[in-house]
Amino acid sequence: MEEVPDHDSWKEWFERHGPRLLLYARQCTRSLADAEDIVQDAFVRYWRNQRKLRGEPLPLLVTSVRRAAVDLARRDGRRAVREMRADGQPEESGRMFETPLEGDDRRAAVEAALRRLPEEQREVLALKIWGGLTFEEIGSQLGQSPNTAASRYRYGLEALRRELPVLAVHG
Amino acid sequence: MDDELKMLEEELGRLRPAAASPELTARIGRNLRPRRRAGVLLSWLALPAAAAAGAALVILAPKPAASAAPSVFKPVAARQVLLSARDEGYVQLGGVPAHRLHATYVDTITWENPAEHASLTWSVPRDQVRVIPASFQ
Repeated sequence: MEEVPDHDSWKEWFERHGPRLLLYARQCTRSLADAEDIVQDAFVRYWRNQRKLRGEPLPLLVTSVRRAAVDLARRDGRRAVREMRADGQPEESGRMFETPLEGDDRRAAVEAALRRLPEEQREVLALKIWGGLTFEEIGSQLGQSPNTAASRYRYGLEALRRELPVLAVHG
Repeated sequence: MDDELKMLEEELGRLRPAAASPELTARIGRNLRPRRRAGVLLSWLALPAAAAAGAALVILAPKPAASAAPSVFKPVAARQVLLSARDEGYVQLGGVPAHRLHATYVDTITWENPAEHASLTWSVPRDQVRVIPASFQ
């Protein structure tokens, strides 16, 4: 288990893990603002009350973020409607990734393709690729079997390959 | 998984999630400030008939939060404690005999501000004197 230090070192910890947490939160919410809100709530709760608990912190935070996203969706349906664009797609702002060596067009294409995936595939991809969790851990956090998580991961990757053939061939 | 899918997986893995905004980091920092009493003001105000009188104002740990709740204090609890009661016997009230009863209370009201996770407790001593005209049969 990673050593979780005391007091003010939250910033160092958050700089290291916050981007992955925020990326995951963005797969469960309709806007960057919502994702930031639930990451803030989950992280503050974790740091105050849960960081001494045994176990890996990231899966714990993933669970917390997911619960907060579900609560937010239930609580604020009106906001979800307001943030839908005219074409019915959720309003999004802010990039999900740093610009890769392949260039900003590639990043934008990946983000757009990712946003078009069903949420259950997006969140598994985010947790596996960028969160570094195993299918076992993902299944446990999302309340599904490891096999289901693996299947959704594969479906998601295949859908991305259809959307991003150039990326796949030349990556 | 075929080679093409593995290449895609590797390329995705090279993408680095964007850093959290400085605003989000600052908000978390404000939320993680140690909870403490921001200030305690205790000033017992003299009331003519009371041995102890005054008000205590305690404000606990105000802090900003991400919640969309309006930043207002709402009363959440009220309590009345009887400190003492005494019978002061009979007095004259406009030439009429009356029974005088003296009670001292402390009323405590608590407000909370959910948006800021702040609470405020206000305790006020109160003297109550009741003069009841006596009737003799």
